[in-house]
Amino acid sequence: MDRVRRTIALGVFLSICPSVPLSAQDTTALHETATVLGRLIETYGVSGMETPVRDAVKQLLPSWAQTQTDTAGNLWVKVGSGDPVVVFVAHMDEIGYAVDSIEDDGTLTLKNRGGFFSSLFEAQPALVHTGAKDVPGIFLPRDSGFTRHNPPPLRVDVGTGSRAATAALGIAPGATVTMPKEFVRLADWRANGRSFDDRVGDAAQILALRHLDRSKLRHQVIFVFSVREEVGLEGAAVAARTLGTSTARVHAIDTFVSADSPLELPNFAVAKLGHGAVARAIDNSSVTPPAYVDSLARVAASRGIALQVGTTNGGNDGSTFVPFGVPDVAMGWPLRYAHSPAEVVDLRDVQSLADLVQAIAETW
Amino acid sequence: MVRALLLLSVLPALRLSAQDPLTRLAPRLAAMTAVSGLEQAMTDTLLTLVPASTRDRAGNVIAVLGKGSPRRLLSCPVDEPGFVVGNVTDDGYLLLRRVGRVQNFLFDQSLEGHRVTLFGARGPVPGVVAVRSTHLTRGRPNPDQPPFTVDNAFVDVGASSAAEVQALGLAVLTPVALWKDPMLYGGSLLAAPDAGRRTACAALVAAATSRSKPKGTVVIAFTVEGLEGGNPGLAAAKALHGPFDDTREVTLPARFANTPVETVNLDDARALEKQLEEWIGGGK
Repeated sequence: MDRVRRTIALGVFLSICPSVPLSAQDTTALHETATVLGRLIETYGVSGMETPVRDAVKQLLPSWAQTQTDTAGNLWVKVGSGDPVVVFVAHMDEIGYAVDSIEDDGTLTLKNRGGFFSSLFEAQPALVHTGAKDVPGIFLPRDSGFTRHNPPPLRVDVGTGSRAATAALGIAPGATVTMPKEFVRLADWRANGRSFDDRVGDAAQILALRHLDRSKLRHQVIFVFSVREEVGLEGAAVAARTLGTSTARVHAIDTFVSADSPLELPNFAVAKLGHGAVARAIDNSSVTPPAYVDSLARVAASRGIALQVGTTNGGNDGSTFVPFGVPDVAMGWPLRYAHSPAEVVDLRDVQSLADLVQAIAETW
Repeated sequence: MVRALLLLSVLPALRLSAQDPLTRLAPRLAAMTAVSGLEQAMTDTLLTLVPASTRDRAGNVIAVLGKGSPRRLLSCPVDEPGFVVGNVTDDGYLLLRRVGRVQNFLFDQSLEGHRVTLFGARGPVPGVVAVRSTHLTRGRPNPDQPPFTVDNAFVDVGASSAAEVQALGLAVLTPVALWKDPMLYGGSLLAAPDAGRRTACAALVAAATSRSKPKGTVVIAFTVEGLEGGNPGLAAAKALHGPFDDTREVTLPARFANTPVETVNLDDARALEKQLEEWIGGGK
């Protein structure tokens, strides 16, 4: 009888527990990585509406961490004291849409928040985030133009039929719009979800803080979880101005958009999944001074952490510190199919990145 | 009880509140996959839902209500357009072949950059269809691309070699479909791939299991391979279980057909269920 009860209890638990499936191959560290990342992935936060993500980050931080939220919405965690001040920054926001207007028929016109292929949202389920609740709907398919890859501007239908009925659901211009998402384990160590960019960066900072040996810190380290990166590095710019020239070095922790894909040109950005974190030495916003890349490689080697070095496209939050004379030593992990619902990571790379952040904080 | 709880733990999380049998059944069937010619999981489910039903040698699920004449056929196609694995590359990607007739460019394009489920020999396996990263198109010529087709689809299941793919139970002919999570919106609207066909079949299940007294004999047929040329499942149902004095194929109007958000109104489905109950009882 007890056995039956235990089995029923297990069944009930499985039916209500968060959907973060585990792999039989997971180590304890990898399990923690998947758990933290899964929680962040299944939280929504289009640029400008990052509150749910900020709340999730706070809950995932170690209990000793004291947080501050600045006027822009960035979340700060300061550890240790003294110069030189080293800053890590990972962004909390994700790409998506904001409601531009409500039409007479109750459908919503949209404006982009960040850069992506709109075809990825066409004819998909939609969630309108009002701040108070999520309203379900659909991204309407085009009714013409089938000969083109990308659709005309998208609209969302929440099934009301009138502007007044849509407004009655609490939807107003400025509400953000995404599609439902889920953290799903693929084969072995890989996982799929939308908005790994940059929830992996957030997870790496959280994991580094959880395992940080604060007794080893020789100077102050500031961890910033920034807002509105996808629409122009806006949150990080506020943090950079706040700190001015007091920062000795900044590490943007953000996606290394990888060409490890059958669809990409192999000319650059070929950082392999499963081969570790990546020094994002050159991108469209900054160039890491070569001596710093070398130092980073030495830190990684000293801890036996896998590190790749490469160049990719995109901008990073650390570049907003550069005008203050701060070297930007950007780091990331290889991501396939960036800014799409198909994003794929290798959890070993995420673990590698978290270990590297911890090592830098403790030793560099 | 235990089995039911465990089943609940692995079923896709539906956002629907249980209000009536059809409201529960339509999204349940819409969450399932039945690629044309490979409908076994769906027909297994229908066998459990419809009392005294059997599978005929064509693969159709058949239930016979009443007896005597007239002898009438009420059928619903259970299949859907989808894909099977056509090839596996040395570096662990799977290529696809379309199965079942479909006329909508968005059907193929809906694959690009989205999650799929592969129904392998060892159970369902999640994967994604590769898409270019928008970042890596910057600074490069980007002419307006032709529509994405299934021939552009590389399925990534997290494997790095053909051997790893095989170890997952995946091989040529494995059925593949978009990952499904039916969405209820606007109060009574249901959006899901093939929502029209699935909701029509749900209405037929509801009508067939109602207590309506049939006039004469009514053969209920959930037919397979409806999207193959000549509709062989329905033809076989007529050949194996006829002749019939009257036949009706159950359909339900849907918006945005053959897209991931094919939408039906559950109020229409409830009305259809009533019509079917009346038809079973001899009404027009």
